[in-house]
Amino acid sequence: MAIHPTVLEVTKLGVHYGAVTVVDDISFAVGHGELIAVIGPNGAGKSTLFKAICGLVNHTGEVEVNGVHCHSRTDRMDIAYIPQRSDSDITFPITVGELVLAGRRRFHHWYARPSWHDRGEALRMLALVNLTGMEGRSLNQLSSGQLQRAYVARALAQEASVLMLDEALSGVDQPATAELFEVFERLVDHGTTLLIATHDLALARRRFSRCMAINGRLRGDGPPGVVLSPDVLDRTFGSAAPA
Amino acid sequence: MIASALFAKALFEGEYLKALVGACIIGVVAPVVGTWIVLRRMSNLGDTMSHGTLAGVGVAYAAGANVLLGALGAGVVIAVLLILFSASQRLGHETIIAVMGSALFALGIIIISRIDTTEELEHILFGDVLQLTWGEIGINLVIGSVAVGVVLLLFNELRLASFDHVQAEQVGVHVELIQGVLVVLLAVVVVISLRTVGSVMSVSMLVTPAATARLVSPTLRRMTIVGVTLGVSEGFAGVVLGQALDAPPGATIGLLAALVFAIAYAVTLPRRMPHHHRPFG
Repeated sequence: MAIHPTVLEVTKLGVHYGAVTVVDDISFAVGHGELIAVIGPNGAGKSTLFKAICGLVNHTGEVEVNGVHCHSRTDRMDIAYIPQRSDSDITFPITVGELVLAGRRRFHHWYARPSWHDRGEALRMLALVNLTGMEGRSLNQLSSGQLQRAYVARALAQEASVLMLDEALSGVDQPATAELFEVFERLVDHGTTLLIATHDLALARRRFSRCMAINGRLRGDGPPGVVLSPDVLDRTFGSAAPA
Repeated sequence: MIASALFAKALFEGEYLKALVGACIIGVVAPVVGTWIVLRRMSNLGDTMSHGTLAGVGVAYAAGANVLLGALGAGVVIAVLLILFSASQRLGHETIIAVMGSALFALGIIIISRIDTTEELEHILFGDVLQLTWGEIGINLVIGSVAVGVVLLLFNELRLASFDHVQAEQVGVHVELIQGVLVVLLAVVVVISLRTVGSVMSVSMLVTPAATARLVSPTLRRMTIVGVTLGVSEGFAGVVLGQALDAPPGATIGLLAALVFAIAYAVTLPRRMPHHHRPFG
């Protein structure tokens, strides 16, 4: 099957809660193997944008994945959303292996148990994110960086072409961030696209190939050198624009 | 000595045998469902359900209908109301559940205060496991087996929906349907608890063994197995102890379960202290 040049295309996307508009008129296209930083102040709509693209909140506008228009949530299983760490209950009695196996659910009926192939895939994904041998551990036995990588492994087990990570780097120390980026860059080399919401503009400038600045609307989209200019940052962050 | 004598008595006298079998059935079914109630932090809903059934029991009793059907009807009404009101963004689930539970409990009290209560009604409210009939045990066994079967069949779906409902929805789990099924299972547990521990105490069998198991179990499978082991042991011991102390069996089971929970909580406390817990170490 021919690979569509754009893995994700968003057209005039908007999310409205009653009279309140959270994001409006956002359009962009993303190719395979891109590493994109999504920046913006708190409340700018970064999480809402991610959730809307995944079909987790009602939205206006259109979303296309691999050239196919998405009508329902199941049309978007090629996109994996990794929520903010604070959204997960790490005391839940689930092992790292079971977490990653959760990504394989899309290939089964509700009544089916994961197969040996699924278990093999889960172990392979854990190896890909440098978590070999961790499958039996509980989530609260992982460091923050390891936890993020475990979620990435789950998204990979889902065989998603696009990974959207919400504040994945908040509270992660420098060595763990470096290790995460080692994994991200390996995924990008394999053609996976990553959109990562971050507040770390220095990191966005240094490690990403593309930046999107959001504050209700798309304020800038392009190489970090262009988007992280004083003009775009001023439009995105207003008077609180970082220097 | 006394316990072994009572145990021997239980084996030979019909009503004790029925009481033990009845307590064991609820001891298996309640923790199997309760595991998910505890994990999803829905214990308040269990309380609402147990109190809310009072209205159903009262209405059915006053109308001369089967009180079990009345309780089940109340459970279904609570489930529907919960789904209808859960769309409220302004009020959380906990608030809706609390309002609903107190309203139905108040309604139940008003209905019951206007009818001549008899011993039979008291048995429904506070349980009397010694009055169980083989017919009721049979019904509880069938309904309970279906409930356990549903949980086992949906085990993976329940795990996905309970841990991360966002990802679960993404990979095709019908999260709201799973939630609805769980609320119905909750109503089923309350209904089959009526004769054993009573509607008021049913939440203790639903929540306490599962909560104790949560303290000592690192995995879901083990949590379910430990919960069932505790549920059966506490049900069995509660009936025997209730007889020995001439105390109501339902209340004795509830108190025993709470005592085991308190011991488990104290024993596991050092392990749960901050220096042992390194979530983002």
